[in-house]
Amino acid sequence: MAALIHSPLLGRAGVALGIRLPLLLVAAVLILAMGYPLLLLFLSSIYPDILGGSLDGFLDAYRRIGQTHDMLPMLWNSLAWAGATTVVSWLFGIPCGYYLARTNLPGKLWARLSLLVPIMTPPYIAALSYILVMQEGGFSDSLLGVMPETLRAWFFSFWGVTLVMALSSFGYVALAVEAGLQSIPRRLEDASGMFGATWSQTARLIVIPLLLPAILNSGLLVFLEALSNFGVPAVLGTRSNLPLLPAEIFFLVTSWPVDLALATALSSLLCLFALFTLYGSRILANILGGGNLKPGAVHTHALGAGGMLLGWLWFGGLFALSTLLPYFAMLLTSLADQWTDGLPSLTLDHYRSLFAAGSRGLDALLTSLWLAVAAASICVVVGSYIAYVNVRSSGPLQKILDGLAMLPRVIPKIVMAVALILAWNAPWLPFTLYNTVWMLLFAYVVIYITDALNYSNSRLLSMSPNLENAAAIAGANRIQIFLQIVLPQLRPVLIAAWLTTFIVTMRELVASMLLLPPGVDTTATYIFNQFEQGDISTAMAMATVTILLSTIVLALFQIRRRSV
Amino acid sequence: MMSHLSCRNIHKKFGQQTVLEGIDFSLDKGECLVLLGPSGCGKTTLLNILSGAIAADGGELHLDGEALDIPARGIHVPMRQRGFSMVFQDFSLWPHMSVEDNVSYGLRIRGIKRQERIKRVQRVLEQVQMTEFKDRHPATLSGGQQQRVSIARALAVQPRLILLDEPLSALDARLREDLKSEIARLLKDNGLTAVYVTHDQSEAFALGDQVALMYQGRIEQMGSPQEIYRQPRSRFVAGFIGSSNLFEYRRNGTSLILGDEIHVPMPLETLPETGHMVLRRESVRVVPDSSQNAANDEICLPAVCHHSQFLGDRHEVLARLVDDTLVRGFADDLINPGHPVEIRFSMHAMHFVER
Repeated sequence: MAALIHSPLLGRAGVALGIRLPLLLVAAVLILAMGYPLLLLFLSSIYPDILGGSLDGFLDAYRRIGQTHDMLPMLWNSLAWAGATTVVSWLFGIPCGYYLARTNLPGKLWARLSLLVPIMTPPYIAALSYILVMQEGGFSDSLLGVMPETLRAWFFSFWGVTLVMALSSFGYVALAVEAGLQSIPRRLEDASGMFGATWSQTARLIVIPLLLPAILNSGLLVFLEALSNFGVPAVLGTRSNLPLLPAEIFFLVTSWPVDLALATALSSLLCLFALFTLYGSRILANILGGGNLKPGAVHTHALGAGGMLLGWLWFGGLFALSTLLPYFAMLLTSLADQWTDGLPSLTLDHYRSLFAAGSRGLDALLTSLWLAVAAASICVVVGSYIAYVNVRSSGPLQKILDGLAMLPRVIPKIVMAVALILAWNAPWLPFTLYNTVWMLLFAYVVIYITDALNYSNSRLLSMSPNLENAAAIAGANRIQIFLQIVLPQLRPVLIAAWLTTFIVTMRELVASMLLLPPGVDTTATYIFNQFEQGDISTAMAMATVTILLSTIVLALFQIRRRSV
Repeated sequence: MMSHLSCRNIHKKFGQQTVLEGIDFSLDKGECLVLLGPSGCGKTTLLNILSGAIAADGGELHLDGEALDIPARGIHVPMRQRGFSMVFQDFSLWPHMSVEDNVSYGLRIRGIKRQERIKRVQRVLEQVQMTEFKDRHPATLSGGQQQRVSIARALAVQPRLILLDEPLSALDARLREDLKSEIARLLKDNGLTAVYVTHDQSEAFALGDQVALMYQGRIEQMGSPQEIYRQPRSRFVAGFIGSSNLFEYRRNGTSLILGDEIHVPMPLETLPETGHMVLRRESVRVVPDSSQNAANDEICLPAVCHHSQFLGDRHEVLARLVDDTLVRGFADDLINPGHPVEIRFSMHAMHFVER
């Protein structure tokens, strides 16, 4: 295999396709858009006044982290909370993955769907809904009678916040474990059985070690997501006396007195944690083994009545907690008029006021809509081209490019947003996008280009360069090859990437909060602000509309794909 | 001597489709049986029944007097209790274990002490010449090296029966050639009873003490490689093994008529009225003209060279007979297409089949 990839023939063909100039172009774009802001962020964290042209106060900000009371426990809490979220997600998700991949549980399609809904629900909306359920005088109190204070205290604490975050991330673990189990060919187990190994020996010595990379990788994803998530800490952490890193950075940047130096230092630390986790887990995965598997025939084993019941209870319980409960709270709040005797009378007034011509709500919705369409389209075009140039070239420049393109996958969104604020406020710029909506569009593209890059990358890697060589021999030029050969091959993954990017940017919270010019709202900032200001019903109406809109777009694409 | 492995009337259906239909064979200890046949003939299913991965629908399977599969009596010994080992087409090495761990796995499962394990692993790795790779992981090895490890893994446990499922078909031609003779030697050196599945005739001949040629769920013919080659029992066997010319014939008094109008003397008085005649490619000599003298028992037929290709030591010629039948044979010298030739073969080279 390796010999094939490094064969001189393909190398020469790559040069023949003329890939040098695009490589330089792509590297320049990535450096300007991502490398430069991050570098500036890092430098400002070391020299707080560098933007003012002074190198004074070397490492001041870091020293203040060490000295300020609360800072170190806050850092420790952030790591512990992300870790706890990961472990709880494993506990929830691994049994789900096992049930899906290796048993004959009936209704697997529904079980799988029940995992997708919480993945699709923005964690901050789930957190807001949970507050509505659990707060004093909330749904639980009014519908089920007053909840014991210990339960409420438990929920508004470290573990309650962990539970909410884990409920929105265990689906990743479940799906990764399912895919991992399915990629282990049956013959590897047969080969073990042939030597007389019992079922449990085979599980312990063959299946679990082979599954470890999937478990670790999904855990890494959850950990990074929790570590850098802004919504849940901002919504629930603040109410639970649990200050967490992303929320702290946000308050340092947005609340008076603004402390950019400390914010950049904390951002750099957050980055460092993320990078550390990523490379640490890679090294760990290498040590623990794994390897490339060719998927083979899958075999499932029959469940007894008890196992089946347990499976359904497991999926059903998680679905109730992760989806039914928050969606119920969200919907009911958005429809509730007046509360009498525990049950409200229903009304559509909140939706009506949301959609009233010229209202802030409608403006926010339209802003989000066009931003999401534009960002998704740009991400798909630019991302697929970057991935193409990256996959089809080699040499030291390509290595740098690969590293740069990796950045948005690892760098927490809030850090990227802070870096963009710095970069576009630098005194040496002749013009700036800052304080315009275009800044937000730019930030969306930089932060969310990851999906387009990832999807295209994996498809391109499995695509033989000979398809392009054949076109080149037939006389096609570089642009023709990209448009006529590469893009059509990428079409299905690009549609998926467009959808994902659209849905994610449609309710994007953190970059919007930091970068929106005054007086402009997106759906997420609208929800967040209305909720904080006490207009909870309108906030929940907007949340419902946003989720419904993403669902409709997703469904439309599914139907079209099926009819094609 | 009682046979070691015996298969009686084994049946298997997948849904409506009959995959195996009355398989019968027996194999002596230390012998290698090759299941040979085109894809879809049922050879892999038979191997899976032997391994215990799937159960037969009917029939009996015994090893060394022990019943492994008798569906009628509800007997099915599961795979892990059979004490066999298997070499897979795709190697199926465990990617998370080193070469050494892969090979010693079976011994570990059988509870063999560490000291003893190390010794035995060392010995088999020497046998397959892979000692220097013992700390490497499978992904870092070439296909041929991986298959050597896979063979070592199967040998290490000294199985009662070793099953090989097209072990060479994922490798390139050169390596196949080397490993083929090496596997044959390893099987004999270790005194192993083996069942080897392949669709490649040269592997079958190099490895098999017995070759069972399978076709449409049945054993079409079983015997030593020489028997299969020299005395094919049916047109299918004759066509599958080697490169043969096949003629329809009918008797006409004291001579035979091949095809429509080619008369040749009758070699045997006991031939049925009609049937097929098989003529091996290597029995056919193609000469440029009739100047060379023919041997006494040789049959000479006029023809025209249709196509010829140089093989290195000689030329393979496709010649067209007067009734347009094409015959394959060998010539010592170059013959250009369109040139008149004579094809010659010994009367005794003709082999007759009924089916």
